[in-house]
Parts: sequence; structure tokens; C-alpha cells
Amino acid sequence: MTTPIVETRHVSREFPMAAAPVTALSDVSLSIGAGDYVAVVGPSGCGKSTLLHILGCVDVPTSGEMLFQARDVTSLSDADRSRLRLREIGFVFQRFFLLPMLTAWENVELPQAEAGVGRTERRNRTAELLEYVGLTKRAGHRPAELSGGEMQRVAIARALANRPSLLLADEPTGELDQRTGDQIIALLDSVHADGTAVVVVTHDPAVAARAHRLLKMRDGQIVEGGS
Amino acid sequence: MLNVLRLAWLSSVRQPGRTSLGVLGVAAVGALLFDMLLLSRGLVVSFRDLLDRAGFDVRVLATDAAPLAGPRILDSGTVLATIGALPEVEAVVPISIRSVEITSGNAVSPTDRLERVQFIGADPQARPMWTLVEGRDLSTSAGTSRPLLVNRTTAARLQASPGSELSLRGRCGSTSSVLPPLAFTIVGIVEFPFDDADAETVAGQLLDLERLCADDQARGVDMLLVRSKPGEGAERAASAIQTANLGLHVVTNEELVERFSRVEFSYFRQISFVLATVTLFFGFLLIAVLLTASVNQRLGEIAALRAMGLSRWRVVAGVLCESVMMVGAGAILAIPVGAGLSVWLDAILRALPGIPTDVHFFVFETRALFVYGSLLAAASIGAALYPMRIVAVLPIAATLRREVIG
Repeated sequence: MTTPIVETRHVSREFPMAAAPVTALSDVSLSIGAGDYVAVVGPSGCGKSTLLHILGCVDVPTSGEMLFQARDVTSLSDADRSRLRLREIGFVFQRFFLLPMLTAWENVELPQAEAGVGRTERRNRTAELLEYVGLTKRAGHRPAELSGGEMQRVAIARALANRPSLLLADEPTGELDQRTGDQIIALLDSVHADGTAVVVVTHDPAVAARAHRLLKMRDGQIVEGGS
Repeated sequence: MLNVLRLAWLSSVRQPGRTSLGVLGVAAVGALLFDMLLLSRGLVVSFRDLLDRAGFDVRVLATDAAPLAGPRILDSGTVLATIGALPEVEAVVPISIRSVEITSGNAVSPTDRLERVQFIGADPQARPMWTLVEGRDLSTSAGTSRPLLVNRTTAARLQASPGSELSLRGRCGSTSSVLPPLAFTIVGIVEFPFDDADAETVAGQLLDLERLCADDQARGVDMLLVRSKPGEGAERAASAIQTANLGLHVVTNEELVERFSRVEFSYFRQISFVLATVTLFFGFLLIAVLLTASVNQRLGEIAALRAMGLSRWRVVAGVLCESVMMVGAGAILAIPVGAGLSVWLDAILRALPGIPTDVHFFVFETRALFVYGSLLAAASIGAALYPMRIVAVLPIAATLRREVIG
């Protein structure tokens, strides 16, 4: 195991409900190191996405410790967590969530602009990323003019924009056909090969098979591959 | 440049239907609001302008009754001399206004009826309170026997021009039936500031008016118009006149305007306040509803932006910018619409009987534009508060989960 990027210690997450609180995660301890390629699998509702959200610092555990690069995330302010996500974590969503009024180029440029990257550096990085995902010729197109696979490739380029140490992907092939899904898997392989830690939540056995480590979850707990 | 403003702009352009509806709604609301602001002070501003245009800044009356509605100033010669000698006063002009009959002339009434007109008697050497349109003024008619100025309406009805002669008879109280007519020579055609469209007004020497009404100095004048010395100001001149202890009522133009504003014109202010408030509230509701609907449609997208690391402030500022842009565009569009509408409404109101032709109900002031901008800015911020709150408290993880399930 390499140096941990993110580490959870006895993390639980409960959601308050009218009838009774629902436990989405229960006593999860886990460590993701630099260069890891992890797939999280399990039945629907077992807590995969909740785990991903906690690893991505968009949610905080109800109990337990959550460390990102040895920093206690639960003690950070909302603004500090936003900064952490912006610079260290890339998100790829099942539904892409590209901004429809922006071109592919602008979508990739957005996180860099937000992080205060200079114009020239931004331009170079955006061009590099669009070439990396094979969409240089589609740079000026808006999401509505792109196919599902192309949109997901733009989303991956956007997630990599600020050179994150951790890429989190939630069902990245969930909305794509087999052939396009394969292209996205290959792209995630490349991202990992380039040194970025990748955590993928998936139902797709093909995606899970590419990961170097498999976390199986059931009822909010990691039943195989934890820590 | 992907700053907040550009994203807000692109977001607005992305939903042309919603944006057009918002902008047009604000334009309609803004036009009405703009007009109500012009109306709220229009009469006051117009009235002040009329008073100032007469060239006198202090009025002296016998009592605090409305000008020309109360008793006359007696022993006006002494009063005139006392006020005229004050160092704060540049000029003092006595005026009286009486009703007179036109009995004959070289251009008589086509209907041959006896017509009544208002006769303003003033000091011929003083700076006039009217505007000369044609011919000569009283001050340059020294060689003419009983010079007379008539307004356009009178001149048109009598088909009179400078040089025409006119016979007038006073109708001054109970003695009028026995008063003999006097012959006048029209020397000029003028505009009087307080005339309405149908008013028939003439002006001549105060002495001639006293003869028409068989008045003498002891019966006094209606009002004294006072012009303060440059650098002294109306307040100091009025104060000096009051200190002279003449037992008269002294009022500056500002005080007169303030009194009319508080009493006679207050209805317009109240109406405009109520309508402006209702209008603004509708504008506020329209923008709040449109923005809330728009934000609710984009919750997943907003949650994704937050997950990517955009700060809470950044997404909240985006919503505020959208509101300000929508209201701003509508507000700019509203100004020419409101201006056109105010001209139309002003024409309708000015057509009411008895309204001086130079009085306007809707008067543009820079102040009105400033208040208009401030109110709409406040409305745009207020309308954005609820959608901003939705965005600010948006639970990122729960929203992303909901969007995927949805």
C-alpha cells in the first residue's frame, strides 16, 4: 500500500427519516493510496454512492474519522472542503452534468478558471485534456451536440482539469452502450496509468474487472476488500 | 472568461422563453413604476418651476389664505416703500387681479357677447411675470394711453393684434354695474404662466386696473411679489420682511411648494405610492417565481458544480447575477416605454379643465431615475433571496443521489 490519499476510520453515515434513521454506511474503515484503482460493487442501496460522496468530501460521516491527505475533513469548513474538492478530487457522474450552455472546451476550462489558473496555462491544459480524451475536434461543441460517450469523455477531461490526486466515478458507464462504455473504461485505465488514484462505483462487471482492488459492499458495510 | 457574470448570462440565454418572459414582465412593471415615480413629484416640480419662472421668490399677502383668495393688503404704498427699502430685497411688485368685461373694440367678439377676462394689474416698470410673444411689453409702452397685454387665447378669439383697441369695464364687486368702460390699446401678446388652455387673461398697469374698478390706494393690492437680492436668498428676504413687522403673511416659493406638496398635491403622491408599491410587488413575485423554477430545474447541475469544487458563494452569486441581469434588462427597456406612457398620461391629465397649460403631472427628475434604479435593484435582490437560499443550503450528496434515481 502506498501513502494514503484518503482514509476512513470506523465511518458511519445515518440519514434522519421521519420513521427512523436509515444507516447508509456502518463502521467503514478504508484506505485509498496514490495510484490505487478501486472498484466498489454491491447491490443497489448498499451504500456505494454514500461511500463515494464521503470519499469525495461532498458529505461528512455521522461518526468516525475521515482523513484526506492526513487532514481531518470533518473539521473543515464548507469553503475549505470546496477548495479541497476543486484541487484534489475529480468527479465523474453517471449523468455527466456538463453545463449545457458551455462548449466542451469551456466545460473543461471551468474548474481551472475557478481554481485561478492563468489564461495561458488554462488554454494549454484544456487543449491537452481534450486531446487526451480524443475530442479536440469537438472542442467548440455544446453538450447537446455531443453523443453520450463524448459527453462522458468531456466530463472525464473536466474532472482531470486541476490534476486531482483522486478521481471518483459514479457509474460512469451507466448511461452508455457497451462499445461506448468500453471506451470510457479504457480512458479510466489511462487516467490510472498516468498516476491518478481512481475509485469507481459500478454495477458493470467489465469495469470492476479492470480495477486492481475490489470492494464489495452489503448493507452499508464493506464485506470484502476493505482497509 | 468564465466568471460569474458570463455564466449567469449564458444561463439566461440558455432559457430564452423564461428570460424573455422575465424581461418583458419587468419592463411592464418598470414602466408603471417609473411613471408613478414621475407622478409622485411631478406636480410639485412643475409648480416650483412655474413659481420660479415668474422671477420672484417671495410672496407677501395680507393673511395666510391661499394667494388671491384672502383679503387685500391695505395701505400698499407704505408697505411697498418699507419692503423696497430693505437691503435683502432687490424688487417688489404689487399685483392685483380682477374680473373685467370686454365691452367693445376694433376686433369685437364674433358672438358680440360681453365676455369676462381676468385683468392682472402690475407695475409697468417691474420685470414682468409673463413671457412676451409678440409686440411690446408694458415697460416699453410709455407713450401709449392705457397699454394692454393679452394672452394668445384672447387675441385669437378677438382676432386682435398689437395696435388693436379694446374697451373694458370693471366687474369689481357690488359697484361694478355703475362703472364706466375704459379704452385700452393692445401693445403685445403674452403667455401667462398659470393660464389654462381656455383662460382669457389680460395685463395692464395697476393704476388702470384701479381706475377700472374705481379703487384707490387705500383699498390696497392682492399680493406683493418680491425678488431677493442675489446672494441674499429668499429665506433672508422673507425673514427681513417679517422683522419689519408689517402684520403681513410672508411666504417663499419653497414654503408655498412645500404647502402644496403637503396638502393640495398629496393625493397624487399617495396614489403613486400605492400603485408603485403594488407594481413593485408584482415585479418581485414574477422574478422570484421564474428564478425559483429555473433553479429547481437545475438542482442536479448545481449540485455537480458544488461537487466539482465551486464554492457556495459562487453558485449563490450566479443566481443573484441572473436576477440582476433579468431585472436590469427589463428596467432599461422600461424607461423608454415609461417615458412614452408618461407623455400620453400627462396629455390626458392636462386636458382636465382648469389646469394651467404649463403644469405637468409627470416630470422627469434625475432623482426619480435614481429611486427607480434603487427600487428595482432592491427588488432583484429580494426576488433572488429565496432561490439563493435554495442553492446555498442544497445538500450536494442527497441531490446527486436524487438526480440519479430520478
